[in-house]
Amino acid sequence: MVEADLDIMPLMNLFVVLIPMLLLSAVFIELSSIEMNLPSPDATASTPKQRLELAVTIADEAYVVEGRGLRRQKIERDADAAYDELQDTLETIASGHPDNKEIVIVSPGDTEYQELITVMDISREAGMPAISLVGASAR
Amino acid sequence: MSRRKRHLGHRGHRKHQPLRITSMMDILTVLLLFLLKSFVVDGEAHTPAAGVELPLSSSTIKPESSIVIAINGGDILVANELVARVTASNANTDMMIEELADRLEATRDQTIALHGRRGDEVEFDGKITIQGDRDMPFQILQRVMFTCNMIGYDNIALAVIQSS
Repeated sequence: MVEADLDIMPLMNLFVVLIPMLLLSAVFIELSSIEMNLPSPDATASTPKQRLELAVTIADEAYVVEGRGLRRQKIERDADAAYDELQDTLETIASGHPDNKEIVIVSPGDTEYQELITVMDISREAGMPAISLVGASAR
Repeated sequence: MSRRKRHLGHRGHRKHQPLRITSMMDILTVLLLFLLKSFVVDGEAHTPAAGVELPLSSSTIKPESSIVIAINGGDILVANELVARVTASNANTDMMIEELADRLEATRDQTIALHGRRGDEVEFDGKITIQGDRDMPFQILQRVMFTCNMIGYDNIALAVIQSS
């Protein structure tokens, strides 16, 4: 008896086409997202009661950290450890005010998006996930 | 003699030997299944727009599918379609980007109509994803976010690349 071979050539043809196609279209980058919640335009601003009103201002030379009843602190923006220093500062404030989840990032119009995202990351990691972005007037 | 020798030497090749491709087929099958599984069907919220270098972030929140606004240089794209162009010259005139607003308004009305016909409870969730280039100035982001908010898209997500 002659042993018949399975004819897998059509299957091979299919594979040869499908695999490069899927390899090309595959996404290997892990995307994630940062949620921003803006107030709806018709909502009235609720009056804050006893809030810290913590703000990080991205200024020309420095990050300025301000808040109600807090010492105004400046962190040199050009320094290598600027981000670490900002994180330490925010963490110190967060440990002193564990209820405060809000932070306002004030930025001039020409700040790069990456820097903004990094400052937002630092705020979130320091324990203040409710981030608001505010545009500063042109310098 | 020499003729016979040659004949003998070729005998092994002449006998029909099927190519052994079983192991290759195994690999290809696994690869095919893996690729099919990872094939993105969730929509463009999971795929970065062409030419846009997303910023790096430590955020680990998974993106949800929604409409995507991609900002590449000064070009603003909604669903991969060029909608508006923002240049430095018209940057300081108005916060609202009119063309984008018109487009978003149309999309919003369409969504509400669709959900209404389907009888969904939530008519409009206001979800939108912004994919911005990492070099983009804040000004453009601010204007896009302002426009989204004015139209009613107040649930904004910023798409980022997860840095390990």
